[in-house]
Amino acid sequence: MAKLTRRNFLMATGWTAGGVTALYLLRERAIAHGPSIIFPNTQSGASWVQIKSDGKCLMFLPRMEMGQNVNTGLAQIVAEELNISVEDILGITPNTSEVPPIAFTAGSLSMTLFSRPTAHAAATLREAMRARAAKLLKLPIDAVMDAEGGFKAANNRTVSYADLVDETNVVVEFDDQQAPPALYTFDAQRQKKQVGQDVKPLNIRALVTGGAIFSGDVPMPDVLFGRTIKPPVRNASLATLETNGVSNVRGFVELVRDGDFVGVVCKTPGSVDAAMALIKATWSLQQPINQGEIDRLIDVDANMAAGDLEHVLKDHAHRSAVKWAIDLRFDVQTQTHAMQEPRSAIAVFATQGPEKLEIWTGTQDPWAIKRLAAMDMGMAEEAVVVYPQRMGGGFGGREHYDVELDAVRLARAVKRPVKVQWTREDEFTTARNRPASAHRIRLATGAQGQLTDWWHGYITGHIFLARDRLPGWVMPVKRLEDDLGVVRGAQPPYAAAHLRVECSDVDFPIDLGVWRALNAGPAIFAMESAMDELAILQDKDPVDFKIASMNGEHPRLQACLERVRALAEIETLAEGSGNGRGFACGIYEHRCFVAMSADIYIDEQTQKIRVERMCVVQDVGMAVNPGQLRAQVESNVAWSVGMALMERFEVGDDNILSSNFNNYTIPRMEDMPRLEIEIINQPTIPPAGAGEVALIAGPAAITNAIRRATGFRALSLPVTFSDIKNI
Amino acid sequence: MKMRVNGVTRSVAVDWQNETLLSVLREFLNLPGSRYSCGIGQCGACTVHIEGQPVASCVTPVSAAQNKDVLTIEGLASAAGELHPLQQAWIEESVPQCGYCQSGQIMQALALLNEQPDPSEVEIVRSMSGNLCRCGTYDRIKKAIRSAAQTMREAT
Repeated sequence: MAKLTRRNFLMATGWTAGGVTALYLLRERAIAHGPSIIFPNTQSGASWVQIKSDGKCLMFLPRMEMGQNVNTGLAQIVAEELNISVEDILGITPNTSEVPPIAFTAGSLSMTLFSRPTAHAAATLREAMRARAAKLLKLPIDAVMDAEGGFKAANNRTVSYADLVDETNVVVEFDDQQAPPALYTFDAQRQKKQVGQDVKPLNIRALVTGGAIFSGDVPMPDVLFGRTIKPPVRNASLATLETNGVSNVRGFVELVRDGDFVGVVCKTPGSVDAAMALIKATWSLQQPINQGEIDRLIDVDANMAAGDLEHVLKDHAHRSAVKWAIDLRFDVQTQTHAMQEPRSAIAVFATQGPEKLEIWTGTQDPWAIKRLAAMDMGMAEEAVVVYPQRMGGGFGGREHYDVELDAVRLARAVKRPVKVQWTREDEFTTARNRPASAHRIRLATGAQGQLTDWWHGYITGHIFLARDRLPGWVMPVKRLEDDLGVVRGAQPPYAAAHLRVECSDVDFPIDLGVWRALNAGPAIFAMESAMDELAILQDKDPVDFKIASMNGEHPRLQACLERVRALAEIETLAEGSGNGRGFACGIYEHRCFVAMSADIYIDEQTQKIRVERMCVVQDVGMAVNPGQLRAQVESNVAWSVGMALMERFEVGDDNILSSNFNNYTIPRMEDMPRLEIEIINQPTIPPAGAGEVALIAGPAAITNAIRRATGFRALSLPVTFSDIKNI
Repeated sequence: MKMRVNGVTRSVAVDWQNETLLSVLREFLNLPGSRYSCGIGQCGACTVHIEGQPVASCVTPVSAAQNKDVLTIEGLASAAGELHPLQQAWIEESVPQCGYCQSGQIMQALALLNEQPDPSEVEIVRSMSGNLCRCGTYDRIKKAIRSAAQTMREAT
């Protein structure tokens, strides 16, 4: 497959049949997916847009949807380039045999990576159409002007796209070595009609009418239902197993055992529940699972006292023995994704004809699932097809061959289609969580109170390089490098003449992985708390102090902070004890800027910390769809409330205690603050992702407000009413 | 065993009579709009109405709906495809992010408006507090409920 060019591939699979298709091509024509490698080549973005003979526009949707509605933004770009409206575009999510591999959907990178290729493809198509229009009108190309849905001449004669396309199959290529066509999306002078508008998410009607859009909704004739037992951690091995009585369950079809893989297949979901309740397993662990073990692993002070941490991320003119104005340790507990949809997958093996396996699943990385399923089954990759479905939330937790493995192995065993629906408890048990972390932050100041020394050491679990996210033989070498999840967000936006940032990442007894904002959430919570405390110590306004400490190096962040202060001050903070206002800010991935304020109230009557109001100012470059950017901010505010005040993933004694929403608390409607959100639009700066940005500043804004209200400095998240009262 | 689902009488096969209402709706009757999320009646994603009352169908045995009227999200729009004012408001306010919880949110909101056509902020929050949304669309849900309530009051 890798030998095929994209052009040939798309022509071979029929995508380009009938109509004119524009392809955006890069020199790198396929992703080198190594074994289990989940870092695709970021240059692998490709795009195609097509106009059919009836003038309709088809667009290939390159991103997996999980709530970020990013394809809507890409459709807006296509509409802008082609002078049509988003409603005129039919978006198509291809299956894995219809297009070559695409980079997986993660890291809020979609707009960064795909906006320009998408604009190129659409603009290339437009210019090819213009050339045809010129021929038809018998005019030179530069006399053919844009019109809605096509072109016009000076005499106002119009030509629609439909007039220009017949059933002939034509592919127009744009190669990145050519000079690009004019890109309307990135033209700051242009009065835009599509980009910058609050276009509704594609397919919103299906979302409010209960459409069959998630993997568990796909109708499948003759399907059976299955589930498997789950160890508390993936490197555990099965110690004992009891299955007495399972085969007597009404609706039982088969008990499947292959080493540590144990599952049942039954005729109905209820019979699966009954059978699973009879299976008793115990596990041998390689590492004890308990909170004391996690606390011991991340003991940052013991490790810093013993010498350098493992990775020195920044060191210039570091001084270890100065008089510290701030010397605080911050802890953040483990958190889990708890997306609203527990994972499910359907697997179907062909019963006749050539070998074939089909999988319906919601995943951030369909091409990895295809490859891993093929490896798992000893099949050729070409024999496996993954049909990606919308995800009911992802947040970084849906990149792996997990629920698909269950469905595939059970379906092979019973030679019938099998649907696996994980329970909520399965979802919690198998989650690859964001690790707990501990941060020691030391700050020193000069004669005028200016920041002179910054020393941040922290310990957390592996993230990108977490156990079994890469093959074991790669790991020892890989782990000599910085884990890009572990180091994310650790660079302060503040200038200090003496600066050191160091960290260690360790193997946790539970499974870890990618979670919204990765290490940036905890690290920036710690940094913004320490800076707030330093401002208080010096009796300075925290916003002024932070801006002064940036030394003019981050004008976009500074603008966010100044604006959020103005927004916050529109309302006077309520009088009386228990009220407080806090501020925090941060930079995500060097391109996304956010500042937030929080007004909180310590409610003695209900014994709750209430977040009353939050203001957010965010700058992620060009605002392609301001409404969807605001939606992402709202989501990150909810997660900020959860991270600051509620969420704690709990382990017991060699088991996982958090199992459902009754013991892992996430925000409900009553926990949400009133919101003021402002999106700063930068028409000349390419759009960057917004999916994880506001979570870096929200928790510290809340805890800084608690500090103002009560004098209590939250050193450990989540913080509760009783923590404040117990000092 | 029979029940009326969205106005149509449906039979439940013997093999499915010991299942939850949610499993029967999703897997036997091919009405997947009610979603499975927690399985213990803690999140509201599976909310449907039995005889006009909202229930968590994931913990309701299908037998509890025998000979009763069940309304699911699929039954909200008119037969001609005209959306219910709540669904229309959900689109107007661009409520859904991932969308997984929204069927249950809309069914719970409908139960609220059936009881209280002009709900206060406090009544909205109280009524919706059992419906989780991990994406955090709560602010828009509130706005959509208010706007749908107004549309419905004006229509009567």
